[in-house]
Amino acid sequence: MADLIKNPVDGIKPEIEDRTSTKTEERETEMAPPAAGSSIHRSGSRPQLDLSGAAIQGNFEERDPTILLPNQSDDISHLALDIGGSLIKLVYFSRHENKSAEDKRKRSMKQRFGISNGNRRSYPILGGRLHFVKFETAKINECLDFIKSKQLHCGGMVARCWPTDALSNENVVVKATGGGAYKFTDLFKDRLGVSLDKEDEMDCLVAGANFLLKAIRHEAFTHMEGQKEFVQIDQNDLFPYLLVNIGSGVSMIKVDGDGKFERVSGTNVGGGTYWGLGKLLTQCKSFDELLELSQRGDNRTIDMLVGDIYGGMDYSKIGLSASTIASSFGKTISENKELEDYRPEDISLSLLRMISYNIGQIAYLNALRFGLKRIFFGGFFIRGHAYTMDTISFAVQFWSKGDAKAMFLRHEGFLGALGAFMSYEKHGLDDVMVHQLVERFPMGAPYVGGKIHGPPLGDLNEKISWMEKFVQKGTEIIAPVPMIPPGTTGLGGFEVPLSRGDTLRSDASSLNVGVLHLVPTLDVFPLLADSKMYEPNTIDLSDHGELEYWLTVLSEHLPDLVDKAVASEGGTDDAKRRGDAFSRAFSAHLARLMEEPAAYGKLGLANLLELREECLREFQFNDAYRSIKQRENEASLAVLPDLLMELDSMSEEDKLFTLIEGVLAANIFDWGSRACVDLYHKGTIIEIYRMSRKKMQRPWRVDDFDMFKERMLGLSGKKPPPHKRALLFVDNSGADVVLGMLPLARELLRRGTEVVLVANSLPALNDVTAMELPDIVAEAAKNCDILRRAAEAGGLLVDAMINVQESSKEELPSVPLMVVENGCGSPCIDLRQVSSEVAAAAKDADLVILEGMGRAIHTNFNAKFKCDALKLAMVKNQRLAEKLLKGNIYDCVCRFEPAS
Amino acid sequence: MEDQSCRSVEIDGNSTSNSELDSYDHNSPWALDIGGTLIKLVYFSRKDSSLESVGNSVQVEEVGLVTGSKKYPILDGKLHFAKFQTSKINECLDFIESKLLHGSCCSHQEVSDKKKLLIKATGGGAYKYADLFKEKFGIRLDKEDEMDSLVAGANFLLKAVPCEAFTYMEGRKDFVQIDASDLFPYLLVSIGSGVSMIKVDGDGKFERVSGTSLGGGTLLGMGMLLTNCQSFDEFLELSHKGDNRNIDMLVRDIYGVTGYSKLGLSATTIASSFGKVSFDNKVLKDYKKEDLARSLLRMISNNVAQIAYLNAGHGQLKRIIFGGFFTRGHEYIMETISDGVQYWSKGKAKAMFLRHEGFLGALGAFKSYEKHGLGSLMGHHLTEQSPVASPR
Repeated sequence: MADLIKNPVDGIKPEIEDRTSTKTEERETEMAPPAAGSSIHRSGSRPQLDLSGAAIQGNFEERDPTILLPNQSDDISHLALDIGGSLIKLVYFSRHENKSAEDKRKRSMKQRFGISNGNRRSYPILGGRLHFVKFETAKINECLDFIKSKQLHCGGMVARCWPTDALSNENVVVKATGGGAYKFTDLFKDRLGVSLDKEDEMDCLVAGANFLLKAIRHEAFTHMEGQKEFVQIDQNDLFPYLLVNIGSGVSMIKVDGDGKFERVSGTNVGGGTYWGLGKLLTQCKSFDELLELSQRGDNRTIDMLVGDIYGGMDYSKIGLSASTIASSFGKTISENKELEDYRPEDISLSLLRMISYNIGQIAYLNALRFGLKRIFFGGFFIRGHAYTMDTISFAVQFWSKGDAKAMFLRHEGFLGALGAFMSYEKHGLDDVMVHQLVERFPMGAPYVGGKIHGPPLGDLNEKISWMEKFVQKGTEIIAPVPMIPPGTTGLGGFEVPLSRGDTLRSDASSLNVGVLHLVPTLDVFPLLADSKMYEPNTIDLSDHGELEYWLTVLSEHLPDLVDKAVASEGGTDDAKRRGDAFSRAFSAHLARLMEEPAAYGKLGLANLLELREECLREFQFNDAYRSIKQRENEASLAVLPDLLMELDSMSEEDKLFTLIEGVLAANIFDWGSRACVDLYHKGTIIEIYRMSRKKMQRPWRVDDFDMFKERMLGLSGKKPPPHKRALLFVDNSGADVVLGMLPLARELLRRGTEVVLVANSLPALNDVTAMELPDIVAEAAKNCDILRRAAEAGGLLVDAMINVQESSKEELPSVPLMVVENGCGSPCIDLRQVSSEVAAAAKDADLVILEGMGRAIHTNFNAKFKCDALKLAMVKNQRLAEKLLKGNIYDCVCRFEPAS
Repeated sequence: MEDQSCRSVEIDGNSTSNSELDSYDHNSPWALDIGGTLIKLVYFSRKDSSLESVGNSVQVEEVGLVTGSKKYPILDGKLHFAKFQTSKINECLDFIESKLLHGSCCSHQEVSDKKKLLIKATGGGAYKYADLFKEKFGIRLDKEDEMDSLVAGANFLLKAVPCEAFTYMEGRKDFVQIDASDLFPYLLVSIGSGVSMIKVDGDGKFERVSGTSLGGGTLLGMGMLLTNCQSFDEFLELSHKGDNRNIDMLVRDIYGVTGYSKLGLSATTIASSFGKVSFDNKVLKDYKKEDLARSLLRMISNNVAQIAYLNAGHGQLKRIIFGGFFTRGHEYIMETISDGVQYWSKGKAKAMFLRHEGFLGALGAFKSYEKHGLGSLMGHHLTEQSPVASPR
């Protein structure tokens, strides 16, 4: 701790942000040819990272070296500041030019579904990222340097044009709030040439809180006895609430709506009191040091407890337990003892309890007074500190007799800055909806914790060195994680299992604040029966056993994944080095989550799996399974004609059964499953497929086939009308899609049902992507008229489109086969956030088929739809099979749920 | 403190027919309130008893109960109030031994009866020190509930003693005559080491609705740490001379002299107690003790006032009456509490205090002797007298 104080650089932790893979950019990069060697995709329209003059500041031996990229600029639209007494909070938004060169297919798809850019809005919202950065006010120069280095101040309101000599621009105005907005006006003018436009503090707080509560799912959480629980708040039922902002003093604000609020109370006993008294009584040099002291304190030496007065007995008649504090500091009334005789740790804890409890009590009394159901606590005093939150929660719980609960916000420190940001006239966040925001936790997140951030790292090389440095220093962030040592390839390896030190992490409870990616093209899947109640994840990871199991699974799978990833990039030294860094970074994420499951917000298996993919992309492994996928696609396509011929010779009934069985059997190919990876080592793809098929026996573990058959073929010859349009959410490349889903799609097409194949926007494991599908379909169509005509009708066979009119003279027009991307880069799918194309395609759909473990079991197993839904998957995990289905590995699920 | 140090209250036994008084035994009763910081002792002495001579180290207050008995054999006497530090409980024991047990309490002849002697006691110490009393004197402490005692004491004083309650604003004390029929409900705020807030609806009808751990113990405990003072009086003395503006962060420190008027905060409102310290580059010894004391006093008083006001439910309870040892006769505390209530209620509510406030619990315990003859004393039984004896 002492080091931390002496060293000015130490307080700054690099904020690692991901500038190589965002949804928006992905839209651009995906247009690149799929297997363009190992070159790194970079959209030409985006500013490149300027590494000239990059330097690591300070001593390399420090815990978190600050890396400065003085000449790096970003495409920044807005910057807003909240300059408080102890911290400067900075929010900025970087957006991208919306130049994505859309290909023909995509354009035609958009026309077909009637999507125009920037749907619903008068002006297009551009995608981008919202960044959150903190600095200590005492080190305001670091903040100024940061702004300068990223030229944040030049982006300001000068819209798109910021010449490099923009520093001379006199009229740049930056929104700012907080007391320091007044105090540092001149400094900003002198150093950066910008004027601070002061926004009212309360206005900003309320605007920030309203934005967070409305736009971010699970922003609020309760914290009782060390347990965090995220609370999903219905936007329509948000107001009124009490916002308690604990800064130096405490303001209590009754919020009735956007811009409608009243400061109803407050108290002068707040964060400043804790820090002020703490400083006097303990000689601590920083707020954080004082907080950390409290962690090791025992307030019983300072406070007079009910038990002290009652000789260890409770005063139960009025509900006071022996450990209730009767009088804070009551035990320090002693003529013989002096300040030096008390432990600073104990004093700090006693102070913390006194002040937190008092704030909780007064807040509750005010909520009661105005009949408010929710109390949100924010402000710098809390700092994600578990004990503080527990104490406040306890006070609210105690005085309300359990009726009221204290809630906290994940972005609590940034309310003011966000609010200032919102005060720009066109900040682009006006109507941001929950489904358009994706929060990402970049590489350094597990290390920086919820602490103060510094300049971000952008360059891949910087990321790798940073990672390596951390490992060398054996930074002790890590909890005992049940993981095998990754032991990856080359370059020093990574043998030391990270272990938790003796001491508790000072920020044991801190929450990480990620980068908010604004993806305006995301939408809620319109066919969800109840999108408000929808929960994507099937397994509850708040069960510690489950969490531990899945973290272990991911950890064990890591070496194999790294091998694949390195091989996909040609196995070069560079690839190995990146592979190691990825392995470390992802292990760190896992360790952090093991230690603090709620560190990144509410955790589900879908998030975990996506985190892995994001982490891979961060180290520029854009498609680790590229060659495997290609190989398997080719092998499967080779046997497809035989399979189709076999199918065509069957009776209607047999065919339908064989098709469904085929989908289930083909779903065995999954590089995400450990068990399947073992299989691969034993046979060829076709051998495994045949074996898998042979083993299949009805009834399957979940077997609604007969119900599905009835819907498709009808009973006793009465043929029901075909579905109008079916959305097929496909899973893996190779046999899975080629021998399983394509024949099923073909059958639907043959019956007159339009088919939309929904595939990933970005690679995830060996999942097929929307970019790869047209080629696969084209290849399959070579030997199948049904597929060819449908693909032509759906615009998939671009070359053939020219002749559509001609050919239509000769052949009957076919229903179309289309491909759309789902907006995800994960093996799972959260149907609250899908691409607008899928949402549009869903409009006329009356059948949804979800295939594979990730999309039909891990997520959406319990999802209900407005239309018919078929969920098909083979369960390739013993534990999941036991827990969820009371069955065994390789059991099959065929779940059919008619429209609800 | 001087204005309350001694007085006597006269009981006019003629004006009631109180049969309880018949069986009143001649042994003077006494009762204890053993708190975390102080022991309060209330005892009764007959006019002819020798109890009035009191040692120097003990502060004793007296209220004379002058009963003129025609119908009933009521003895004239005085109620004495004494306090000791809990940490010096031996002084209390010595006092009891010399003045009560061997004085007038029991006739010397029946030492064996002492084993059966039951003494009413309240406060947490009644549990904690039960064994001590048993060993030392062979007496059993009959535990009376603390809240029961507080409320009984307060109700007794408010109903029976004229002009017991007063307000204290800007150095001026105004006595308030409370109509006994319009007394309830009120909020009784007892500021001891900690603070209890009790909604009183009638005799024996009450509920502890709230409380806070920021009380007298915090004030003195933290005060001792911050200023090295040795006693509460010394601490208060310091606070008189201090200026909290050197310690607290005021609204004007943040928003300038115009204040944050939009929110109704004046420039001199304290935004953050001790907030200025958090920005200074100074250590404890760089600050004036007087300023620290003043700031601490304002912080605690203001906080108690706020929580009390919030609990009074914005006028639902007619009165907020502050009692407990820490407010007792300390003008500056009363003034800051009054300021606080005034501020938070925007002038609608007023803080009230009781002249015998430090002894509510002891008085209530004393009152709980079933047949002590004080059970149903009404205001007209008691008349104020000029001081009988000066304490200490």
